[in-house]
Amino acid sequence: MRFECGQCGAALSFEGVRTQTCPYCASPSFVERPASSSRPDPVFTVAFAGDAQWARAHLDRWIGRRMIIADSALKNGSVDELRGIYLPAFLYSAVARTDYTASIGEHYTETETYTKTADDGTKTTETRQVTRTEFRPLAGVHLGYITDVVVSASAGLDHPTFARIEPFELRQLRRHSPALVSGFIQEEFSREADECLRVSRGAAIDEVGEEVRRFMPGDSHADLHWSTKVEWESLDPVLVPVWVFALRYRGDRPPLRVVVNGQTGKIAGKLPLSWWKILLLVLGAAAIVTVIVLLILHLREPPP
Amino acid sequence: MSACTRCHGQLEHGDLRCAICALPAISLAATERQDRAKVLRCTDCNAAIAFSPAVQAPRCAFCGATMAIEQLVDPLEVAEVRLPFTVDRAAAEASLRGWLGNRGWFAPSALRDEAVLESLTPLCWAGWVVSAQATVAWTADSDEGAKRSAWAPHAGKVPMRFESIVVPASRGLTLDECRKLIPYYDLRRTEPVGDDFVESFDAQRSAARVHVQRGIEATARTRVEPHIPGRRYRNIRVACLLQGQTTQRVALPAWVLAYRYRGAAYRAIVHGQRPEVVFGAAPTNWTRVALVVLGALAVVAAIITFFATR
Repeated sequence: MRFECGQCGAALSFEGVRTQTCPYCASPSFVERPASSSRPDPVFTVAFAGDAQWARAHLDRWIGRRMIIADSALKNGSVDELRGIYLPAFLYSAVARTDYTASIGEHYTETETYTKTADDGTKTTETRQVTRTEFRPLAGVHLGYITDVVVSASAGLDHPTFARIEPFELRQLRRHSPALVSGFIQEEFSREADECLRVSRGAAIDEVGEEVRRFMPGDSHADLHWSTKVEWESLDPVLVPVWVFALRYRGDRPPLRVVVNGQTGKIAGKLPLSWWKILLLVLGAAAIVTVIVLLILHLREPPP
Repeated sequence: MSACTRCHGQLEHGDLRCAICALPAISLAATERQDRAKVLRCTDCNAAIAFSPAVQAPRCAFCGATMAIEQLVDPLEVAEVRLPFTVDRAAAEASLRGWLGNRGWFAPSALRDEAVLESLTPLCWAGWVVSAQATVAWTADSDEGAKRSAWAPHAGKVPMRFESIVVPASRGLTLDECRKLIPYYDLRRTEPVGDDFVESFDAQRSAARVHVQRGIEATARTRVEPHIPGRRYRNIRVACLLQGQTTQRVALPAWVLAYRYRGAAYRAIVHGQRPEVVFGAAPTNWTRVALVVLGALAVVAAIITFFATR
């Protein structure tokens, strides 16, 4: 998809994106296009909370905290690529009606008799109080609205990775406008709404599961099974801000890819570990434990 | 005022999503558009401009101008109506005097006459008045059907109508003080808010939903109690599906009194509509407390001596 730059007329390629910065005049352009089912218009946008330096500071702090086990070369890594992307996503909400069955544990105390053998071999009978649990079946319903499920609609970022930089503060949701995305990359929707609906339902049912767990009475519960019917679903296209880093730290290794939540600074990435550091750490810990155990054994030994 | 199509709750001006069920409340304007690239231009110097996270709006890199865009609306909640004061200043003072004279034997006998009223402030404290239809699912442990353990689990579902539940959002009164006042208000008669003594809410609009939700759940937890079989219960949990919720921001009248007795300050509250509802802190006559304790000890000692010498 090629369009002319809105400022200087140079030809710009908009492949998978809705915004582009002109390499000649540095003007940020955005594409106006009629919405279609595979390329919906965003309804809401969560705006970036900070600029590239803000994102870099969060990344440095994240790496710094993990330096004790991370590859030392990261310290002198250089940022190959740093992009602020408005990621396409879907915001899901629904009414959830859940039927559940569970086994509810209720504690009770019982007096138990046991035989105690003293050091000299004499046996005495004593009693003690023990807590036991009685399990009773329970079946019922749970009701509620599921409100803030967000799933990635970008083919480049799968939902598990996306879930690691969640949550986004949705109270800051704004009505979408090109003014919010100008100068950043707005990625085009690249996952089908049907697929996103399926993923959303899965996430919603997991969320209901958490709530049903908290809903259970008794002192404990087991064998919780629930089936949720969702009604009145809504699925709306939204844009959420993420920073994508490629950090080159060794010439012979692929760069470290990190995704940063552009609103909260939460980070997801697979940090290269230094096995030497971990080995030393484990050995050090083992040494400390050994010393403590030896000390205890030594102190418990009766003096000669 | 419009209503959400999913939960029939009221929508407020500026709401992008329903505050109860989160259904989007805006629709996209279908505009005639052609495929083309555009740039956003500075309204001052016409240069192409980009969104700046620092100012949360597009800012021009050349002339520094900031473009006005729709900003997030999250105002502090403000009362829309208030309930009228039916207890005037003199009546509030009189009921305080009556209350002070009625503090019992442990209060100083001179309290009624020697207490000096330092201030008597009318306060319209802030609260949400919520009405909604709800289906409430509940679980609890009760003694009904208990076997070896004293408790057995129970669950159920009841429809409920919440009519004018008051959820406090006061800065000046504690939650406990608000709870004591709430049952005595006449919520049917309201008047427009004047600019006098009306307290601002202790919450922004975006935070209101959570407060209101908690308030309704607390009410539901008490209201399901009659539905739980058995005589004793514990671990009451509720899940509410609300329909047609309406929320009104109301200022509720109360008199806040500060009085001084022999150098120490105390606070009392008189209801703004019912003069007989008075509560607060009162001094204690420690000499009398000590006398009673000593007397009780003497009686116990006498009884022990009596039995010991028999």
